[in-house]
Amino acid sequence: MGMTEADNMFKEFREHSVAEFFKKNRQMLGYSGKIRSLTTIVHEYVTNALDACEEAGILPDIIVHVDQLGNDHYKVMVSDNGPGIPKTHVGKVFAQMLSGTKFHRFIQQRGQQGIGASGCTMYAQITTGKPVKIITSSKKGLVYETEVMFDVKSNSPILTNEIEYKGDHVGTKITAEFKDVTFNWSEYGPSEYIRRTAVANPHARLVFTAPDKQRFVYERVVHILPPRPKPSMPHPSGMTVDDMLDYAHHAKERTIKSFLTQTFDRMSSDRADEIEKLTSIDFKRKPDSVTWKDAEELVSAIKKVKFLAPSSGNLHPIGEKQIEKAILNVLSPEFHAVRTRSPSVYRGGVPFIVEVGIAYGGKAGHTNGDGGSAKTEVMRFANRAPLLFDAGGDVITKTIGEIDWKRYGLKNLEEIPVTIVVNLTSTYIPYTSAGKQAISDEEDIRKEMALALMDVGREIGAHLRRQFKRGEKQAKRSTLLRYIPEIAGAVALLAVDNKALLEKKLLELVNKKYAEGAVSEDDDEEDEDAGATADEPVVEESDD
Amino acid sequence: MAAAKKHLTEKTITPKDKEVSKKLRDMGKEIAEEIKKGESPYVKLPIRSLSNIKFNEKDEQLQLGTAVSKRSFMNVAHSRKFMQTMLVASWVCRELVEEGITTSLRDMYYALKRTIPGTKENTVEEQGESDPVVVDIETMLDILREELHLNADVRGRVVGNVVIKDRGDTVDWSKLGSGGWSIPSNVENVEIKSVDADYILLIEKNAAFERLHEDKFWKENNCVLMTSQGQAARGIRRLASRLSEDHKLPLYIFTDGDAYGWYIYSVIKWGSMNLAHVSDRLGTPNAKFLGLTMTDIEKYELENYTIKATDVDIKRAKELKDYVWFQAPEWQKEIDKMIKSERKAELEALSSKGLRFITETYLPEKIGKKDFLP
Repeated sequence: MGMTEADNMFKEFREHSVAEFFKKNRQMLGYSGKIRSLTTIVHEYVTNALDACEEAGILPDIIVHVDQLGNDHYKVMVSDNGPGIPKTHVGKVFAQMLSGTKFHRFIQQRGQQGIGASGCTMYAQITTGKPVKIITSSKKGLVYETEVMFDVKSNSPILTNEIEYKGDHVGTKITAEFKDVTFNWSEYGPSEYIRRTAVANPHARLVFTAPDKQRFVYERVVHILPPRPKPSMPHPSGMTVDDMLDYAHHAKERTIKSFLTQTFDRMSSDRADEIEKLTSIDFKRKPDSVTWKDAEELVSAIKKVKFLAPSSGNLHPIGEKQIEKAILNVLSPEFHAVRTRSPSVYRGGVPFIVEVGIAYGGKAGHTNGDGGSAKTEVMRFANRAPLLFDAGGDVITKTIGEIDWKRYGLKNLEEIPVTIVVNLTSTYIPYTSAGKQAISDEEDIRKEMALALMDVGREIGAHLRRQFKRGEKQAKRSTLLRYIPEIAGAVALLAVDNKALLEKKLLELVNKKYAEGAVSEDDDEEDEDAGATADEPVVEESDD
Repeated sequence: MAAAKKHLTEKTITPKDKEVSKKLRDMGKEIAEEIKKGESPYVKLPIRSLSNIKFNEKDEQLQLGTAVSKRSFMNVAHSRKFMQTMLVASWVCRELVEEGITTSLRDMYYALKRTIPGTKENTVEEQGESDPVVVDIETMLDILREELHLNADVRGRVVGNVVIKDRGDTVDWSKLGSGGWSIPSNVENVEIKSVDADYILLIEKNAAFERLHEDKFWKENNCVLMTSQGQAARGIRRLASRLSEDHKLPLYIFTDGDAYGWYIYSVIKWGSMNLAHVSDRLGTPNAKFLGLTMTDIEKYELENYTIKATDVDIKRAKELKDYVWFQAPEWQKEIDKMIKSERKAELEALSSKGLRFITETYLPEKIGKKDFLP
C-alpha cells in the first residue's frame, strides 16, 4: 500500500541526507527519464498552483513556459494568480522535503505527497547547481523575490538575493533551470500534460508556451470553483485488522465505543452496540488497549453488521456538465458523450466515483504533433490529476482494452480520432506504486468503469450509425442529382416537353426526399421497392 | 450522327416504324407527366431472370412469366439504369426509327457514351451496359430489336443448296466458294427462294464447319451446313428456325461435349432466358442434338482425348441438370455422366480417329441411325 511506502520514504528521509535521499528515490518521485522528468516538474508546479488558487477561492489562471537553453537543458516558468506564499513559508515550500505531510489524511487530493516543489528545487540543484527563482506576493502591493536552494548538509533551505518591493505582482511565479531533461510532443510530454490538465480542470485558464514558441491557450469554461474536499471518515467495512489496530492506537477517545463512532463513517451508537454484542470485548476499555486479537474480532463483527453505504459527500467529481464543457473546449469534437457514475465503494469501504467522457472527431485523438492522422488516446485522471505514465499497468487501460468497441461501431479503435477520458475520484486512490501513475486493478472500480465506458460507447455508436446514414443519404442524393440533366434531356426530346421544367421537378423530388442534413431515426424506409432488387442483371451469356 | 450510316436512298418510314415510334414517344410522355406531377418516374419491365422464366411444355419454349419489376428514378439502385433506358429510348426513336436508319449496337453505344457534366462518370461505360437496355425496351414495349433498327455483330455462316434474295440480290449458298454466306443479324427481310436439302446441320465450331465444307459434306449428304461460331446469334437462330419450320427440314445440332455446347443447343431449340420474350420467333422446338454426347465418347472410345472438366464446367452442368427443359431422362443421364466423370470433350476429339472420321463415319452413322438426344 502507498501509505506504507510513503512511510518508508519518510523514515529514509530522516536517515539520509536530502540529496542522497532524492537521488535514491528519484525514480519513485517521477524523475526517471528526460521526458518524464520535465513533465514531472511541470506537474509539480501546476498542481501546487491549482491547489493554492483553489484553497484561496480563486479561479486559477496559470501560465507555463518551457524554453530550451541547450542540449537537454531547459528553463521552466510557471506563474499563477493565487494567494502568493508568505515570505516565511517560501523556504519550506521550495526546499524542504516532506514538509507538509498529509500521509494520514483520508482526503481526496490531487498531488504528490509533500515532495513536489522541493523535489524540483533539488533536481534543478543537482543538474545545474542553480537555485530556483521565486517571485510571490502574499500581501497586496508587496512583492517578494528570492532564490531558493537546499543546504544539503543541514536539510534546510538557503534563501539568497532576497528583495521585497512595492509592486502589483499577483500570485507566484517560479523560474528554474534543469538539465538532463528534454521536451517532446509525445503523450508523455509537458504539452500533453497541460492539455489533459485543462480537460480535468475546466475552471482553470491554462496557457502553455512550448520551446518552439507555440502557444496553447485553454480558456476557462467553468466559472465556479470545485468544492474543496474535506477529510472523510473511513467506512468500517473497508477495515483490515492492521488498519483497525492502527486507528485504535492513534485514537484519542476514552472508550472503544466512542473511538468507533468518532472514527468511522456510518458508525452510529446503535451499530457500535450491535458490534459489541457480537464480540467478547468490553467497549468501555481504552482504544489503545486493543490487541491484535481484539482487532480481529472487531473486523469480523463489522462484517456481520449492516451499514449504510459510505457517505460520498466528500467526493467531488468533475461533474458531467463540467467534463462536457472541458471536452468541447479542448477537443472541439464532432461528437461527445460523458457519464458520471453514482458513488460506489471498493475494498468494502473506500468510496469512489468513476467519470468517463468520450470525444470523437475534431481535435480528439492523439497526433504526436507530426501532422499524422489522429489515433485513439486515453486520458487517465486520478482526482483530476493526469496520469501520463505506466499506462500498461493501469485499471483504466485494462478496462478500455476489455470492452468490445466494435459493438459500438468503433472498429479499429487504435486508428480512430477518439479521446477517452476517465477520471477516478476517491478519498484514497489505489495506486500501483509510489510513482502514482497507475491505478491498481480493483474489481469494483473496474466494473464501474466498464459500465460507464459501455454507456458512452453506446452513445457514440448511435452517433456513428447516424453519421453513416447521413453520409449514405448524401451519397444517394448526389447520385440522383447527377442523373437529372441526362434524364430531363432525353425525356424532353422524346416527349417534346420542356427540359428545364422537368429538371426543376426532378430536383424538387430529390430534395424533398433527401433534404440536406435532415436525418430522422425512422428513416429506414428506403427506396420505393427496397428488397426487390428488381433490376438484377440477367445471368446468362450474351445472346448476340 | 457520325456513327449511323445514312441510306443512299430516301428515308423510308414503314407503318411498323410509325407504330414503334408512337410506342416510344407515348412512353416518354407518360414519364414526363409523372415528373411534372412530382412523382418518381419509372418504367415497368418483365423480369428476365430464371425466377420468371417458364418452360412452356406444349410449345416447348422458354417463355417470360408475368413477374414485373419497377425501374424507378428515385431508387438509387436503379437511377443509373433508368437514365440509360431514357437515353436509349429517346435516341433510338429519334435517330433510328424515325430516320429509317439501321445501325449496330456498338454504334449506339458510342453514340450514347459521354461524360456526365461535372462528374467523372460516363452515361454508359461499356457496351455491356447499353445492350441489355435495348432488350429491356423490347420486352417493356413488346418491340423487336430489329424493329428498333438495331443490329448485332454479324456472326455465323451457311452453305448449301439454297437460293435466297437479300436486299435485291439473289444469292445461291452453293456458289459462294470457301467462305459461304455470312448470316446477317437481321434476317427478317431475307427471302428464301428455293431449298434443296434433307436436313440442316448446325455446328458450334467454325473449324469443324470448314472441315465439312472442304469435304463437300453438304453436297454429298444433301444438307444445309451452318456454323454459329459459339453461342448462336439471333440471325442464325431465326434463319435456322425459318428454314426448319417453313421448309420442313430437320435441324441437327453438333457442339462440343460440355455444358456450354449443350446449352447452345438448348438456346437454339427452346430459346434463351435472356430473349425468352422472342422464343416463339427464334426457337426451333423440333431441333435434335446430334453430338457430342458422353455416350459418344464411350462408344467411339474417345476417353483419352477428353479434357478434365473445371469446377465452372461442373457447376454449369449442375445448373443444366436443374433446368426444366433438360429433364428428359436421356439428358439427365448425359449430364450425370459428365458430372461423375468430370470430363468433357471438344468435337475435334473425333479427329483423333482420322481427319475424315467426322465426315465419313461419325456423322453418317449418327444421322443414319437417328442417334439423337431430344
